[in-house]
Amino acid sequence: MTFPLYPHGLFGTYTGLLVGTLVGVAFGFVLERAGFGRARNLAAQFYLTDLRVLKVMFSAIVTALVGMTVLAGVGVLDISLITVPETFLWPQLVGGLLLGAGFIVSGYCPGTGVVAIASGNIDGVFAIGGVMLGSLAFGVGYGPLENFYKSGAMGAVRIDALLGVPAAVVAAAVVAMAVGAFLGGEKLEAIFAPRQGELVPASPAGVKMRVFSGFAVVAALALLALALPARHTVAASKAARPIAAADLGRELVASPDAWWVVDLRPESEAGKGRLPGAMVVSEKEIASAAGLAPTRSLVVYSQGDLEAPPAAVLKFAGEVFLLKGGYDAWKADVLTAPKPPENPTAAQISDFRTRAALNAYFTGAATVAAPTLTAPRPMAAPVTAQKKGGGC
Amino acid sequence: MSERPFWNPYVAGVVLGLVLLGSFLVMGFGLGSSGAVTRLAVAGAHLVAPRAVETNAYFSQYYGPGKHVLEDWLVYEVLGVFLGGALGAYSAGRMKLGIDKGPRATTAGRLVLAVLGGVAMGFAARLARGCTSGQALTGGAALSLGSWVFMMAVFTGGYLVAPLVRREWR
Repeated sequence: MTFPLYPHGLFGTYTGLLVGTLVGVAFGFVLERAGFGRARNLAAQFYLTDLRVLKVMFSAIVTALVGMTVLAGVGVLDISLITVPETFLWPQLVGGLLLGAGFIVSGYCPGTGVVAIASGNIDGVFAIGGVMLGSLAFGVGYGPLENFYKSGAMGAVRIDALLGVPAAVVAAAVVAMAVGAFLGGEKLEAIFAPRQGELVPASPAGVKMRVFSGFAVVAALALLALALPARHTVAASKAARPIAAADLGRELVASPDAWWVVDLRPESEAGKGRLPGAMVVSEKEIASAAGLAPTRSLVVYSQGDLEAPPAAVLKFAGEVFLLKGGYDAWKADVLTAPKPPENPTAAQISDFRTRAALNAYFTGAATVAAPTLTAPRPMAAPVTAQKKGGGC
Repeated sequence: MSERPFWNPYVAGVVLGLVLLGSFLVMGFGLGSSGAVTRLAVAGAHLVAPRAVETNAYFSQYYGPGKHVLEDWLVYEVLGVFLGGALGAYSAGRMKLGIDKGPRATTAGRLVLAVLGGVAMGFAARLARGCTSGQALTGGAALSLGSWVFMMAVFTGGYLVAPLVRREWR
């Protein structure tokens, strides 16, 4: 298990940003070479004269999907560390319809609009300007939209997990579906392009053969990898690591979106006050906490000290922490203003400063975060949650 | 210099897929676009009305101690997309000012529609938590249920509205 590199801590944030720029350069270059810097090449998809969008998009999805599946199958890639965009069924359905409508009206999608600007197309500037206005409009109208925005929440659900079949089987099905769509799409082009006085897009048989058979071979390899002996990546005797309240406080200030915080107390207790962004999870629902995306660490707590978290929590694929001393310790060490030490050493002063800063941060934040008084559903993302990447 | 042809779409798709795979292998997540455009818009709005942006229930997620709205992986990635797009267009002899539209469309009409469609997309991408890059492409490869629903909806929405804007393109 070597990949993915970044979640394994092989390099830091700033190297990550450099990698991001390089990945972007490759992304932008390929989009341009695919012809996506020009609106008419994209619009042609919706008049069935040139299904370039379908061909590029599905070839890309298939390539990345079968690639990841094979690498996971042979044990090089830890698939549980791959971020899966969370599913919110209704806003994604409605957002998709609206985005598709905007796509054909503006001629670009957000990514291709950037490429259009880069290649000198003025209409791209207007399209991206529109995207900016639309984003701001969403923020302005967010209040009444919030409930809908969070509706249909199912968490980071993968289709293979939903169907209960191995990813390789779904990947093979996607390959078959994509190749079917490609061949059907070329038939449509042959009908609709001449009708609209255009040439049928050229599609050399040799290239098609090589690409499609490449997909088939890699998909077959992924299926074959299923026969390999299973590798147990999660140690059976996994234990939760203790974390002190002040240390957790520092972590939550520095990187709030690196943590899932789960409050194990009954809602009546948790409603009186809890950690920022904490999800209240009843005993019955505790298994759902184990299904949270393992790209973050999970910390659980009760009122006082817990010897061990509930067994179900340990099924969580990422790291599990236990807040030492529970909520009582959080109240005493973070929510209570520290007393300045008498005749302090330098270390004590530094410790006092940190605690005072944490106290100011969390007690200040606590008055702002009033909505946490009503108990949210366990799967709802914490207020501080903000996904990295994929967010498009 | 005459223009170089576009790549065969299947080949372009495979190369794009390898870029996406590379991002997954190195970073653990895939590509995106609209998130960076939103952040840029929010940063712009913040120059004009900082309080309104920071207290907005949605935009407040971008602000906080140790956070900067533009200090984000996606922003750097989309900066790269711009550079890569420019490199691609320049090296193919395609970098020139222009407006892409159908033969019957007027320039003003095309630009108005570009903005209107853009507004719809910007709103939709925030509602759906991503666009064709972050949801359809990336979430599609990660087998996210919601991303596949989104992708099918995008094509449906496009085909439903295409007949209404035929004059813009054909």
